[in-house]
Amino acid sequence: MRFNKKKKPGNHKINHGLVNNYRGFLWILPSLLGVLIFYLLPYGDVVRRSFLGAVDNQFTGIKNYQTIFENTAFLLAVKNTLRFTFFCIPVLILAALLCAVILYRSKFGGVIKSAFLMPMALPAVSVALMWRLLFHSQGVMNQWLSCLGIAGKDWMNTEHAFWILVVSYIWKNLGYDIVLWMAGLAGISENIYEAARVDGADERQCFFYITLPNLKPSLYTITVLSFLNSFKVFREAYLVAGDYPHESIYMMQHLFNNWFRSFSFDKMAAAAVIESIVLLGMILLLQKAWDSGDGY
Amino acid sequence: MKKKWKSLWKCRIGLFLSAALLIGSFSGCGGKDGSSASGSGGAGGDDKGQAMGRFLEEEVELPIALGNIYDMKRMGNGTIRVMCSNGDNGNKEVWDSKDGGKTWEKAYDLPAEIQDTDDGYVDYAKLSSDGQAVCGYNKIADGGITPILYLVDQTGSGKFLPFELPAYEGDTRNSSFDTEGAYDYNTMSTEGKSVNAGEDQSENPEEDQPEENPDKAQPEENPDEAQPEGEKEAKTGNLIVDLQFLGNDQVILQDMNSTIYQISTADGSVKQKYECSETTGGIRQVYVAGKNLVLISYTDIRVYDTETGEQKSTEETLQENVLDHENISAIDTLNEGESIYYLTRGGLYHYKFGGSIMEQMIDGGMNSLGAPAFYPMALAMIDEENLLVAANDANSDSPTGIVILKYTYSPDTPAKPDKEIKVYSLYNNRELGQSISRFQKEHTDIYVNYQVAISEENGLTVSDALKTLTTEIMAGKGPDLLLLDGMPVETYIEKGILKNLSSVIEKEDDYFGSILKAYQDKEGQLYAVPARFFIPMIHAKEAYYSQGEDFNTFTERKDVFVNMDPESVVEKFWYSCGAAWKKEDGTLDESKITEFLTRLKNAYGEYDNSKDQEEDGIYVASDIGGFDEIKRTSLDYGNFELAYGRLNTNIGLYGGMDYGMLKAVSEKLGDAVLDQMPGQAENVFVPAMIVGISSKSAQPEAAEELAKYLFSSEAQKVSQSGGFPVEKEAFRSVIDGHQYEGKESMRMVEIGGTSLEEPLSYDMVPTPEEEIQKLTDLAELLTTPALRDDVIKEAVIEQGEKVLKGEISPEEGTKALMQKVNIYLAE
Repeated sequence: MRFNKKKKPGNHKINHGLVNNYRGFLWILPSLLGVLIFYLLPYGDVVRRSFLGAVDNQFTGIKNYQTIFENTAFLLAVKNTLRFTFFCIPVLILAALLCAVILYRSKFGGVIKSAFLMPMALPAVSVALMWRLLFHSQGVMNQWLSCLGIAGKDWMNTEHAFWILVVSYIWKNLGYDIVLWMAGLAGISENIYEAARVDGADERQCFFYITLPNLKPSLYTITVLSFLNSFKVFREAYLVAGDYPHESIYMMQHLFNNWFRSFSFDKMAAAAVIESIVLLGMILLLQKAWDSGDGY
Repeated sequence: MKKKWKSLWKCRIGLFLSAALLIGSFSGCGGKDGSSASGSGGAGGDDKGQAMGRFLEEEVELPIALGNIYDMKRMGNGTIRVMCSNGDNGNKEVWDSKDGGKTWEKAYDLPAEIQDTDDGYVDYAKLSSDGQAVCGYNKIADGGITPILYLVDQTGSGKFLPFELPAYEGDTRNSSFDTEGAYDYNTMSTEGKSVNAGEDQSENPEEDQPEENPDKAQPEENPDEAQPEGEKEAKTGNLIVDLQFLGNDQVILQDMNSTIYQISTADGSVKQKYECSETTGGIRQVYVAGKNLVLISYTDIRVYDTETGEQKSTEETLQENVLDHENISAIDTLNEGESIYYLTRGGLYHYKFGGSIMEQMIDGGMNSLGAPAFYPMALAMIDEENLLVAANDANSDSPTGIVILKYTYSPDTPAKPDKEIKVYSLYNNRELGQSISRFQKEHTDIYVNYQVAISEENGLTVSDALKTLTTEIMAGKGPDLLLLDGMPVETYIEKGILKNLSSVIEKEDDYFGSILKAYQDKEGQLYAVPARFFIPMIHAKEAYYSQGEDFNTFTERKDVFVNMDPESVVEKFWYSCGAAWKKEDGTLDESKITEFLTRLKNAYGEYDNSKDQEEDGIYVASDIGGFDEIKRTSLDYGNFELAYGRLNTNIGLYGGMDYGMLKAVSEKLGDAVLDQMPGQAENVFVPAMIVGISSKSAQPEAAEELAKYLFSSEAQKVSQSGGFPVEKEAFRSVIDGHQYEGKESMRMVEIGGTSLEEPLSYDMVPTPEEEIQKLTDLAELLTTPALRDDVIKEAVIEQGEKVLKGEISPEEGTKALMQKVNIYLAE
């Protein structure tokens, strides 16, 4: 009886919490359902298909995974995608940070920031058209070079295609990252800087000991968003060079696109599962780094 | 308390919005499915009950072979009257049927003074509902043509009407009048079209109509002095370009100035004049419905009241339907012009003036009306449930192609057949369209829905089209029968997309075996079968090519590709060489590609950069939208250029025996050789009209039935320049020129190329047995299917063009090509 008497008020307290939780659950239910229907269930189907044949749906075990790891096109696409990602993202993040710090202190920072955002507003088709005009074997770039007495090149059919893609990606996403960095900078209290300066800290010390540590939370968001945006560069590459571009810019999306056209759903599913695992792993690593930063 | 209420309301609004969002998301998805389903449902059918009632087609038995039908009319007393020319002797006659087309009796012959002679010919003729006829007679005198109106009464007596056309106000030299029946072929530059469109079976544009009077191209007395028609017109000035009866006592006439005259048949006086020269492109069609005059231009449709001469308000619905879709080819009315019945390639439509609804009475896709080579000439509505259509059907059984079809409403037949087969091809295939039309006539229980992915209008790329096809197939909504031209056939076979077709071919001996088995797999199964094929050929003077010469010897010559553009050269030799590149492991032989590019570059020599600036010329456009890539590499395109010395060799794909034309070119050259195109591979053929059935087909039996029909002798004999038939009997029928047998020899004058001054003329006679045998033996020899992989081909053309233009070396070209192809093959 004592037990029951004690439990009653306790129960009441727990029920209240449950109701609150239930109410919270209701609020996220539409979004959760959307994620479930449009992401989780299809992803489950992709995982299922990665163990089946392309059209006949016969169980094939891990054959599809073995196939893709022996597929030179897949390995090339993975290599190019990783090369692109690991080169572009650090460069983009650092360049954006530099610009953001300068702009944050500038009187005209707001105006210039908007100018940096302009490339994002340009449709991919226009960008692709510009590429063609500039980098075609008989394009503007070669005309300029010939004026300087330098022999031109078929830029998009050489190793240079990769660097054109890198520059294009950085040019297009710099403004977005600058905005994110500036939002992070705005969150740092001016009082901290003033206190540091009173203690005799110079600009360099303020940057390394105040600004950078306080921007750590922003770094996670910016890195993840830049990483996800890096996949969109395929649009420009596809519009300029089609299904089969120069091997240096042959990305995962090219491969998926071509596999889809040729009914290679088996290989697509296996590659998608591998890619999602790698992506998830990288995001979790970043999150872990961020969490540890919080503690710091 | 107030705060609590506020919070409660906030909560409710939030919940409501969330629910609305959720429901909205689901209804959004559902809505899409619903609209798609209703779109494909067609003809008002629903899930529970089936809509009944459809017009059925039958061919009317004619008493004579008709050479042409000028007009067909239901007279006031119900008699159907036809004005035609006799196919046997060219005589102009009028025939009547009092029983809706079952039996016919001759009413009269046209008076001798307007029968076709060297002095003139009837260009247009129309009938009135009381049985009169008015003829636009072109009198040939003093080296020119004078158009005259001639009225014939119900008994066959006639008189000239005192009416004279004013002088033509435009440039007669460049005039191009485009009306219901006439197309000025002189404006066509590179395709070598025939003056006599009625006999022309080459690839007409969809909108092309046969000439109103195919008899116009009469035997030439002295063919070498044959004058192109454009020149004759230039001397005469104005001509009648359309003619219609208005009631029984007036005539509507259109001239080359786009002026429409309303003329009294009593005295030839002009009652009204309609000036339409300001319309873009002029008036292209003139029709009369009761007292309404309907003028169709390229931009609008105008309806005039012929009593007042005033323009009526715009018929928006009619305009929208006609301008956005198809040309009207014939009109008739049953109620003094309150409403009209009109024919387009989409079928028969009914429209009430002033209304907002267009009623489709007959779906052209389910009968001959939608067939590519079917050109309606006249429509006679007997009543709302019976009608007759006179037409020129190039692929009909009629020896002259002129047919009358009767459409009768059958209330007991389902509006749309239960079974629907979807047929898919990347490019429009005229042979397939024609065969489907014939198939549907014999299978009224099957509806064949032919979908063409790439057209000039939609500008879709092959890659995009294939992705859409993949989605549809995997969603279970894909086609049942596929025409695999331009598709990755081997990949589809490997992935199990195609069904085994071995049972479709009943007697293998009736076909060219090697061609039939072009895609046979290791187990001997046929998953894709070419219904037609092309042969890569060369036509040249002996100085530039010797019979049987190999690729190496040929490409050692320096001047064989004079005036050819690099892209075209690479593309054509891709067919005769590509087949030799594939190694057993599926990769490409790099050394052979280097050799290919090196030899072509050697023969091509230095590229003249100034040619990049040329707009005109004889270069064959390689990016014609909506055309099968094979057709633009046709041997036909170079005939005029070879004959008149602008090309030293004519290379291309040969897929239809045009014996007369080839002979004319050879005669012009003097010492010509026609042989297989030299290449790195031998005895190459190019598979075309490759038929496959989807393994996910919803109607596999019906699809198989259609596939069987496509390989039947009847369907194989359909010839629209889409390749030689794979069936031997049909092959002979297509090349033997049997249509000219037992007929008076006619001389054909063709004008093409880049100049009107360069005609090629030849006799239209059966092909000599020796020539038939030679081509048959050649077809029997063909054993190597050309590589038809678009990805490899595009890479070869891209790099090959650069090599021939001297931008890169053959080795660099090969390296760049291999880099792309290797990724593709590795995928």
